[in-house]
Amino acid sequence: MSLMGGVFEVIEQTASQHNVKKVLQVKLKVGELTNAEPDALQMAFEAYCKDTICEGAELLVERVPVHARCRNCHYEFTVKSMFFLCPNCQNASIEIIQGEELLLESLEVE
Amino acid sequence: MESIRREIEVMANLLSSNDMQAELNRAHFRKNNCLAINVIGSPGAGKTSLLEKTLPRLTESLHLGVIEGDIFTSKDADRIATHDIPVIQINTGGGCHLDSKMVSKVLSKFDWNAMDLMIIENVGNLVCPADFDLGEAFKVIVLSIVEGDDKPSKYPVIFRNAKAVVLNKMDLEMLTDVNMETMKKDILSINPQIRIFEVSCRNGNGLEEWVSWLSQEVSDYKELKG
Repeated sequence: MSLMGGVFEVIEQTASQHNVKKVLQVKLKVGELTNAEPDALQMAFEAYCKDTICEGAELLVERVPVHARCRNCHYEFTVKSMFFLCPNCQNASIEIIQGEELLLESLEVE
Repeated sequence: MESIRREIEVMANLLSSNDMQAELNRAHFRKNNCLAINVIGSPGAGKTSLLEKTLPRLTESLHLGVIEGDIFTSKDADRIATHDIPVIQINTGGGCHLDSKMVSKVLSKFDWNAMDLMIIENVGNLVCPADFDLGEAFKVIVLSIVEGDDKPSKYPVIFRNAKAVVLNKMDLEMLTDVNMETMKKDILSINPQIRIFEVSCRNGNGLEEWVSWLSQEVSDYKELKG
């Protein structure tokens, strides 16, 4: 619910900058290494949309898998079942390069 | 003029306003040379009990402060206040986590001339607090073993983001089916660098190791002053 507050802050700013009359679609990018849950986002979105320029808009949530890079051998891999060891050299020191994002990617408007 | 359907690329971070305030809080703690930690755990895991056992062991050598996050009551803050430690209550009024703005609003209520360690006890919840940076140096999880050995793998985000986990209620191990090996193996596969402490706030076992680790963290933080 608080994340949706962030979504609507961004929508309001963008709408006033771009002279938007109505928002038709909102695209989010949500990393799997966050606690943003698509169903909960959908519910919060509908609640927030009521009586705004977003009423009736569609919410698209793209889940982003977790990718990491080993700090030792620089091997890049997808983190599966939350197992954070380098599959190449078993090193524990890895850098998350994707999967932590919480982004409002784009708006479709008129 | 007829309006035209069009797409606007935004690419905005949804947490940016929280993250910006968190950086300001972090700068405040750094300027005052005070280690701030964010204590996170489920309701009933023993966060306040751990604080109650930890604080008296540190007050001789350190100046402490506590921020208590709670949905409605001041019960936890009242417990801390009995130990003569400055404590400020934040009521989120239904909110399931603290955010950086709530924390920034109460910072002026403490005396920062002598403050070595600020402990922020978050609202009881293993989910949402993981995503909201408060400006702390690091997060500590309190997990009671009776919650089950499946909890780390069910809530990986918080275990990935924390520096230490205190496994509490070890005195109940014999009464439960919890598999401590599975629990610890899962925690380390999510976060191989995390420090694990096994304690019982009730009988005091394991607390010394945790307390000495925490005091060392305060010293290390202060030495980094530059």
